[in-house]
Order: sequence, then structure tokens, then C-alpha cells
Amino acid sequence: MTAQTRSADRLASGAGQPAGADADANVKRAHAGPARPRKPVRWLRAIVWIVSTIVVVAAFWSVDISWQALLDLPQKLTRYLGLMFLPPAWEAFPDALSATMLSVAMAWFGTMIGIIISFPLSLLAARGLMPAIVRWPVRGVFAVLRAVPEVVIAVLMLSVTGLTAFTGALAIALGSIGTLGKWGYESFESVDRGAIEAATAAGASRVQVMRWGVWPNAKPDVFAFWLYRFEISVRASAILGLIGAGGIGKMLVDNIQFRVWDVVGMLMIVVIVVTMIIDQISGLVRVRIISGRWELPIVSALRRRSAGRARREATAPGSTR
Amino acid sequence: MTSITADSPATRPRKPQTWPRTLVVAGIVVALTVWAGIAVKADLGDLIRNGQNAAGTLIQLVQPDYSFIVETLPAVLETVQMAVIGTAISITIALPVSFLASRATNPNGVVFGIVRFIMNVVRSIPDLLYAAIFVTVVGTGALSGIMALVMFNLGIMVKLISEALDGLDRGGQEAALASGATWFKANKAAMLSEVAPSYISQTIYVLELNIRASAVIGLVGAGGLGMLIDKVRTFYQYHYLSTVILEILVLVIALELLSSYARKKLVR
Repeated sequence: MTAQTRSADRLASGAGQPAGADADANVKRAHAGPARPRKPVRWLRAIVWIVSTIVVVAAFWSVDISWQALLDLPQKLTRYLGLMFLPPAWEAFPDALSATMLSVAMAWFGTMIGIIISFPLSLLAARGLMPAIVRWPVRGVFAVLRAVPEVVIAVLMLSVTGLTAFTGALAIALGSIGTLGKWGYESFESVDRGAIEAATAAGASRVQVMRWGVWPNAKPDVFAFWLYRFEISVRASAILGLIGAGGIGKMLVDNIQFRVWDVVGMLMIVVIVVTMIIDQISGLVRVRIISGRWELPIVSALRRRSAGRARREATAPGSTR
Repeated sequence: MTSITADSPATRPRKPQTWPRTLVVAGIVVALTVWAGIAVKADLGDLIRNGQNAAGTLIQLVQPDYSFIVETLPAVLETVQMAVIGTAISITIALPVSFLASRATNPNGVVFGIVRFIMNVVRSIPDLLYAAIFVTVVGTGALSGIMALVMFNLGIMVKLISEALDGLDRGGQEAALASGATWFKANKAAMLSEVAPSYISQTIYVLELNIRASAVIGLVGAGGLGMLIDKVRTFYQYHYLSTVILEILVLVIALELLSSYARKKLVR
């Protein structure tokens, strides 16, 4: 007890005011063991680091690659990029656009089917609405559908029903059920409990609680997720084309195989621009759904800037002159 | 008592009319769906006609041939290798780039804008397309797969990390700048350690994505399990196909469990 307080005293004087005759001794003591806590050794962290380093090194060391090919890659890449974009084949633009629209149609149709199927299923999977015996199998189905990559689903579907844009859309639908279902029940479960309690207190049945307690709160999130899933589906539909389901991907892979590089460049430009436009539009609508306000990119940026300027002028009136 | 009547117009606001808006939105959605349905030539009869054909395939599919697993092991190994190497390379490149792509760490508006734009373009190209292009440029095999994964990851990583940087508390950085540090030094000292947890967590996430992606980019010839899928598919060996798909499932789910466990540890 006394020894402890004394040592604490010494410690304080050593760290606080190392002045006077015994300054040297104090400094020495401050650097000695008890004054400074030992740096903790984090074994788990160290082990994880070592293991992951070993895994990465082993992967690099064992993979079957001729790293020589990497050396002349920049040169090759610039050559091919030049072939693609200097200039791209503008005459292929109408075809590229219509093929892209087919891909977008695939994505939209597939997402719609996915929504129609997944919405009731996500209700079945929501806690508080269904008993666990119904919930868990449905969640299991969602998990499995999420784990299988979309392209693999498409490969299965295509081998069953043949290579058309319609099967592509169906593959997208199947692939989107997993994520849509999960997002659905998660947003049903994460709503504010207040409205549910109120509805229950007023004597609502389970369905009525769902309709009046849960749905109005979950609605914006659910709609936003649907749109977001559509954005993902647009990318997925371009990919599905690459394995033969029509649309822009098919046109791309054909032209890559026949090495018509300027058309490939044109197609890539169209794909990128169309995806970006769709992302922008869908993002705008999502913000509108969630926040209830349109956030037009240029308009709101200008508004922010002018608001900032007004604030600066208000705070420092002399600086503008 | 008499003065307060609940349904007198003065005390109760009129319910806003939303049905015209709902109608317009529903109209747009229905129109888009009809257009899309016509464009993809949706035909339910077609499906039913193909049903018999499908039944035979499905019967084969639900009987996976487990003896095929031995033959697939090299492909599984290659898939994992591709995913690990792709992750390692891309996270190394992504760290400095995301510091350039965040407004919180990059004071230079021009560089910021250029990096952001390039990253948007990089992100909007799907992974399989990168794979298709790299396969034609450098040939089939794991190298083109790794490069496709790197490009694919770069877009995701830079977006996630730069958003994490944007959301950080900038006190430490401000202090460093005020004490005369350059932006580089301030970011290194104050922001890097702050963003490290989310950096590691996104690394795990990207590794998870990569296992999934590297299993499929082989479909266009970029090595790994995808190449195997393509092979057995062209020979209609559905017993083998379902084996491979089961393997992908096991891989993906194992990694998903590992990553959710690791991220939970990381948060604590």
C-alpha cells in the first residue's frame, strides 16, 4: 500500500518536474520499466499478418504465369488501345446503341420479374411476420442464390433453354432474387418499432401491422434497393452477353474474337456512357425516394456554391471589394 | 368540449393527394416493362416447350459426379491464386490512388477531378469484359485473369476507401497541417492510421468478391474454374458442371464466413 503510493509519487515527480539535484535520477526512472506501460504484443494480429504474407508470397511463387509477358504489356496495351480508340468506328454507333438498349431491356425485365418473385418471399422471411420454420428455409434459398455467381446461373439457364435475350433476363431475375430478398427482409426488420407497437396496441392483425406499421417505413428503402438492383443488373446483362445471351456483350465478344478493334472501342464507349447515364438517373431517383427532394447534380452544386459565397460575403464584407 | 371537433376542416389538415403522382410513376414503370418485354421477346410458351428438354438436363444436374473433384483441384487452386494475387496487387495500387481521389486528403482540385473521372470509367467496365480484352491482348491463362481482377478491384477499392476518407474526422490532419506539415506528411501521419481499419475490412471484402469473380472470368478464357465450366458445358457434361458449381459454392460460402468473422473481430 505505502510502497505503491510512494512509487506513484516518485513516478509523478519523475514525469512532471525533473528539476533540481536528482533530475538525472528521475529521468532515468521515467525511462525505466514501471513508468512506461509495456507495448502489448498482439499475438493474434502478428499471426494473421504472417499467415497472410505467406499466403500471398506462396500464391505469387506458385502461380503458373510467365512474368515475362508482363514486361511487354505496356507496349501491347498502348497498341491495342490505339487500335480501339484512335478513332473508334463511329459507323457502328447505331448498332451499338440498339444492342445496348437490348441489354438494358434485359436488365429491366429481369429485375422486374425478380422483384415480383422476391417481394412476397421477403415477406415470408421477415421476423415478426412468420414463424421461424417458414423463415429459415426461405432465407436459405436467398443465401444460396446469392452465393452462386450470376454468370453461373446464366450458364445453367442457357444450357437449359437456349441462347436468347429472354433467358438472359430470366437468369438476371433468378440472380436478383437472392439479393432483393435479403435487402427486403432486412429493411422490414430494421424499421422503427414505434409504428409497429402503435398498430399492435390499436388491435391490428399481423397483416395490418405489416401494411400500416412496417410498409410505410420500409417503402423508401425497398424502392431504392430495387433501383439499385437494376443498376447492378445493367452491368450483369452486359456480362451475360459475353457468354452468348445477346445484347451488347455478344456484340462485344464477337468483335473481340474477330479482332475488329475499332468497333470494340466504339462498343466500350457506348457501354460506359450508357451505364454511367443509367447510374446517374437511377441515383437521382433513389435520392429523391429516400430524401424526398430532387438533388440535380449541377443545380445543387451551383446552389451550394452560391450559398457558400453568400456566407463568405456575410462574414467578411470587406474582402470582396 | 363543443369547440373542439376532430373533423372540422380548420383543425385537421387535408390529406395530400398523391394518387396522380403514383399513377404517373406506375405508368412509367409499366411502359418500361412492356417495352423491355417486347425487346427481349418474352414468351412463356417458349419456356414450357423447352420444359421437357430442361427436365433431362436438370436430372443430370442434381446428380453431381464427386469423382470429378480430383480433376478440378488444379483449377480450384488457380482460382484461389488468382484471387489472392489480384487482391494483393490491387490493394497496393488502390491505397495511394484513393488518397488522390478523396477531397479530404487531396487539396488539388484538378488532380482530384481527373482521378475521380478515370476511376468512374474504370468502375463502369464489368469484370468479364476486362477479362475478354486481356485474354485477347496477353493470351489465355491466369495472367489475364489477374489483370482483369486488378482493374475490377481498383474501381471498387478506390471508391470505398476514398469514401471512407471523406467520412473521417479531420482533426489530426488539421493539427498536422497547422504545425507545418505538407499534405503528404499530414495524410500519412493523421489519415492513414484512421482509415486503416476500413482499409483492411474492404480488403477482405474484395478478396471475397475476387473468389466469386475469378470463378467466372475463366468463361472467356482467363484461367481458373471458369475455364473448366466452359469446357464441361460445351461437352454437355452436366454431372461435372454441377460438381464444379458446388465447389464454387463451397469456396464462396467458406470465404464469406471467414470474412464476416474477420470483420466482426476487426470492429471490436
